[in-house]
Amino acid sequence: MSDFAVDIDYLRKQYRGGVEALAGVSLQVPYGCIFGLIGPNGAGKSTLVKSLLSILRPSQCSGTMLGEPIGKKSVLAKVGYLPEHASFPDYLSGRQVLEYSAGLANSAKSSYRSRADQLLEQVGMTAFASRPIRTYSKGMKQRIGLAQALVNDPVVVFLDEPTDGVDPEGRMDFKRMIVAMRDEGRTVFVNSHLLAEVEQVADRVAILAKGKIVIHGTVADLTRREARYELKIEGTLPTLLVEWCEQKGMEVSENRIRLSADSALAVQTLIDKLRASLMTICELKEEKFSLEDLFMQVVNQARAEAAAAVQGKGSTR
Amino acid sequence: MIQAYTILLDSLRMLRASKLFWVSIWISVLVALVYASIGFTDTGMSAGFGLWEIPMPLLRKGTQEAEVFYLLMFTDVIARFWLGWFSLVLALISTSSIFPQFLQTGSIEIALSKPVSRARLFLLKYLGGLLFVALQTALFCLVAFIAIGLRLKEWNLTIFWAVPVITFSFSMVYCVGVLIGVSTRSTVFSLLGALMFWALTLVAQWTEDFMYKVAYLMPEVGMGVDLQSGQIAEADNNAGSGMKKAYEAIKPFVAVLPKTRECTVGLKRLVHFKERNSMLTGIDIGSVLMGGNTDPVIRKAMEKYEMRHSWFSIIGTSLLFEALILSWALWIFSRRDY
Repeated sequence: MSDFAVDIDYLRKQYRGGVEALAGVSLQVPYGCIFGLIGPNGAGKSTLVKSLLSILRPSQCSGTMLGEPIGKKSVLAKVGYLPEHASFPDYLSGRQVLEYSAGLANSAKSSYRSRADQLLEQVGMTAFASRPIRTYSKGMKQRIGLAQALVNDPVVVFLDEPTDGVDPEGRMDFKRMIVAMRDEGRTVFVNSHLLAEVEQVADRVAILAKGKIVIHGTVADLTRREARYELKIEGTLPTLLVEWCEQKGMEVSENRIRLSADSALAVQTLIDKLRASLMTICELKEEKFSLEDLFMQVVNQARAEAAAAVQGKGSTR
Repeated sequence: MIQAYTILLDSLRMLRASKLFWVSIWISVLVALVYASIGFTDTGMSAGFGLWEIPMPLLRKGTQEAEVFYLLMFTDVIARFWLGWFSLVLALISTSSIFPQFLQTGSIEIALSKPVSRARLFLLKYLGGLLFVALQTALFCLVAFIAIGLRLKEWNLTIFWAVPVITFSFSMVYCVGVLIGVSTRSTVFSLLGALMFWALTLVAQWTEDFMYKVAYLMPEVGMGVDLQSGQIAEADNNAGSGMKKAYEAIKPFVAVLPKTRECTVGLKRLVHFKERNSMLTGIDIGSVLMGGNTDPVIRKAMEKYEMRHSWFSIIGTSLLFEALILSWALWIFSRRDY
């Protein structure tokens, strides 16, 4: 039995026409965490989730989900899903959407009824539960969509762009609900291109670009590993010290010195050097890379590599 | 079981939400009430629950002709034209959107992400579409059953054969609509395709019917048709021989098509008058009004004409066609990425 809720050894999807949406993805999602899959439009995020849920047929796939081979239908009874642009039949009411979703997931009527009430309460839709879906706003539909994803009491929940079309207040509610899901012990897999939101809630993230996972890890590790430090000194640096800093790869501008480092240890040498030269340090601050900075960096790098590969192919012909 | 119940309940909800479903049901009830309002008096027929009296000595109260006429009204007129035609067109209009709507982005994903196989999902959704016709026909038959029971004092359960027969007849056309709906995801294409296919099968069946009559039925009763002038004359020894060859040539082409018309026409083979020990084959409503087919040669030829295709071949070839079309649609539905 795998230690991961989702454990993909290899996943490849090539659409008819030759477009390769996923070029051999390997990914592990531990139980009980919020996992954010981020990437630019067309990176293959939805394709990856749909492959796991049998909504589309991967070209090649090996791995497990909840300990069962990916593609096994019975495991989907323990999975919840909110698709991007979720659409429900407009003749159903919000409560009936939950009933429909629970029924398809094979949940007994007795078990889902009380759960449905609880979920409607959680997503703030109790008062509107009997109204037809056609009278709902986009945000209300998303709330019902979220409730239906949870109606079968799933172990793992996939949310594809959950806050798409939701107002700022609604987004706050969604973030709170996602965290609550994790606190209940569920694994939450969030697909999004809204990096700031993912950064706020996710424990782990992976960046998907050009059909490949280019980087993954905990949010803390990924943002820390690109940490930068900035020191501000009084007066100007002596020429010898400027040269020493530049040799060590630091940036020096007037009274500021910037350096990239994995940890604060690397800064200590600089501090010692400055203090030995009787310089006064006014300020020392850690500048963390945001997920957005990291995202832009790795995505641009992936694009450049892809372009180079295409060029390489062209020149060998 | 829960999944099947859920999908069928959803289909029922979808139908209930459709205005056309209610329009269709109300027209059906109205037609059934018009049928129920027909009665027989000492002088002839009455309509509108006795509001209008039509003197017809042949169809007086208590005569066997009146009783046969009443039952033939159901099998030859109402089942054939209302249930077999108009209500089916309304049903096609109402149900042609089921699959295209179901396959909409954002909707299909939710169903497919559940622990239900695609084949099961597809077939249950298909059965849901058939519910439309089954419910409407069942309601109609119930009114007709009560009307026939009260009028003829015979509670004839064979009337309810109309439910599976009409539903089956609809299913042959509906499966084509489903195939087109699944392939194109378009309600308009699905509806137009189904209607065009239905028209094609009807033309084929009418042609076969006409050719049989000219080639076999008419010579058997001593009549022939001059195909150049279109005149009916007495049959000579070679009557219908050319047409027989033509009939035999087109027969295989018609045989592979589903038999929508023959199903509804053949309904009267299943509706029996138990107490009167008579089947309605060999008799049509026109001949009843003319005083019945007294000539045994004509009646025998008519009986042969009506029975020229066995139930086995009508149902068998239609089922085979439907199974092929549904398998094709299911294959597309199952193989596609959503």
